Amino acid sequence: MSMLSVDGIDAYYDESHILRELSMEVEEGEICALLGRNGAGKTTTLRCIAGATPPQVRRGSIRFRGEDITGQPAEDVAPQGISLVPEERRVFPNLTVEENLHLPEVARNVSNRFGRSVATTESGMSLDDVYDDFPRLDERRNQTAGTLSGGEQQMLAIGRALRQPTQMLLLDEPYEGLAPQIIETVERAIERIRDSGRTILLVEQNAVAATEIADSAYVIDAGEVVFDGTADELAADEETRQRYLGV
Amino acid sequence: MSPRVPRDELRVLGLTALAVLAFPYLFAEAPVVSDVLNGYAGLATPILIWGIFVMGYDLLHGYTGLLSFGHAAFWGAGGMTVGALIHHAEFSFPLVAVALAVIVGILLAALIGYLSLRRGGIYFAILTLAFGQMIYYTMLGPAGQLTNGEDGLILDASSLFGVIPLDAGLPVLTPLGIIPSWLYAVTGVLTLVSVAVAYRILQSPYGLVFKAIRENEQRASFVGLNVWRYKLAAFVASGAFAGLAGGLHALQAGNASASPFYWIVSGDVVIMSILGGVGTLFGGFIGAGIYLYMDNVASSIGLIGDRWHLLLGVLFVVIVWLFPDGVWGGLRRLRSMVGSDDTTHTQTTDDGGND
Repeated sequence: MSMLSVDGIDAYYDESHILRELSMEVEEGEICALLGRNGAGKTTTLRCIAGATPPQVRRGSIRFRGEDITGQPAEDVAPQGISLVPEERRVFPNLTVEENLHLPEVARNVSNRFGRSVATTESGMSLDDVYDDFPRLDERRNQTAGTLSGGEQQMLAIGRALRQPTQMLLLDEPYEGLAPQIIETVERAIERIRDSGRTILLVEQNAVAATEIADSAYVIDAGEVVFDGTADELAADEETRQRYLGV
Repeated sequence: MSPRVPRDELRVLGLTALAVLAFPYLFAEAPVVSDVLNGYAGLATPILIWGIFVMGYDLLHGYTGLLSFGHAAFWGAGGMTVGALIHHAEFSFPLVAVALAVIVGILLAALIGYLSLRRGGIYFAILTLAFGQMIYYTMLGPAGQLTNGEDGLILDASSLFGVIPLDAGLPVLTPLGIIPSWLYAVTGVLTLVSVAVAYRILQSPYGLVFKAIRENEQRASFVGLNVWRYKLAAFVASGAFAGLAGGLHALQAGNASASPFYWIVSGDVVIMSILGGVGTLFGGFIGAGIYLYMDNVASSIGLIGDRWHLLLGVLFVVIVWLFPDGVWGGLRRLRSMVGSDDTTHTQTTDDGGND
């Protein structure tokens, strides 16, 4: 059984039909790259999985570890082990680094105190482990997150996601606007997360960088899957790359 | 995070207690200061009362980022609770009446919050305004028997615990010029309690949750927070403070009517909140102080007179321009500027040494 299976979903923003019978499978412990041009529907796919609205999923189903999570709100999906690192300004800019990292634990505690039935009470990575993984964050604990550099903010966003009981990490364009050197640091971090047994769904415009570390890959265009295979197969498939990714 | 909180809290409460104790003296009695300010003791009590109201409002507006235009409802309801109990039921325990005012504030805020928080942003603000005005007209018309409309109920709640006259001075402290009346003492204690509760809320996990929601609601939900529930919690908390302050205000004014329900009151709170500083907690007291001072003292200065609203407007614009985070925020920035001047200095020396 796959970790995540998306089965023929149709997703809409109001009346615009964005995803058309999109299906994909992500296996446990792999890095799966979801690629495509701007506007192909990559972010929409992630939002459907994470339970963000809009979009609305009108047909099809999304199953996580066998459980149907279609249409569940974001705050119910997150405790089941799916953490989304959204694109662009990804942190809480006026909270300190430490407050940002503290928030997932607070969310879990206050929810439990309210007697809310969260699917899991297990905790994510400890604060110390996150600081060990990202020493830059350790140095900047008490700085407000908005004053960090782009790369540091991305580290913080990933670190915060790992503080949730994450089994699957959804990364939306983590390399966007980062210098090549910083991209490499983020890549190493993503690989470490995979090596710790977690599953990663990586959305990227930067197809070359994404296929370098990915195990499997999907390419979508206009809301439909046009390629499905291993990352190596995609690297060898020049036609698909040129036609849909422009590389 | 946890071990240093109690010490911070003690420091904050200690400073608040000092400020509450010293305020009437500085404002109304102290040789030079009070001459310049032209303050009078009777104004010290309402400044604290409005300060409680604004501070509670700041939990919602400043910390959770929700702009409500309906808080007159909770303030008015608190006052009317006290008024109705004392006037209609001849209830003679003002403090118990005030406690009930808090409960009424909570219940009403839970109801209006539940209905208004269905929408965000400007729609939320308009909904709170609409509900507030609906309650105002209800108090004015249909419930006129109960409230006696704009004339209101005259309250004869002159004694505390049925023995001590509320407006009398305290035996030792009043002749010294400190603590003008028992009412001020009660208000002062409740101010301290309010500050303690509000500070506790902000230091607790809820404080962090509120701030996260203010920053970005959707991101907060990705972290696993049920945003709606915490927005309601903040709304209800601010309603509790509004109910308390409204109840005290009725005692202090000796009157409870439909007027405090009017939407202008909701606007006054927003103005005070911005003057003092949004998201600063203590700024509420400064904002309330400035507003009431302009209303009561400056307006009696010949040159200003009825034009005090104009002067307040000018002051408002100047403060918003110079200190976007209000007077309290401006003071805080000034302090950190003085503080960081030192650090920069040390750092430069350090760098020099290293080079």
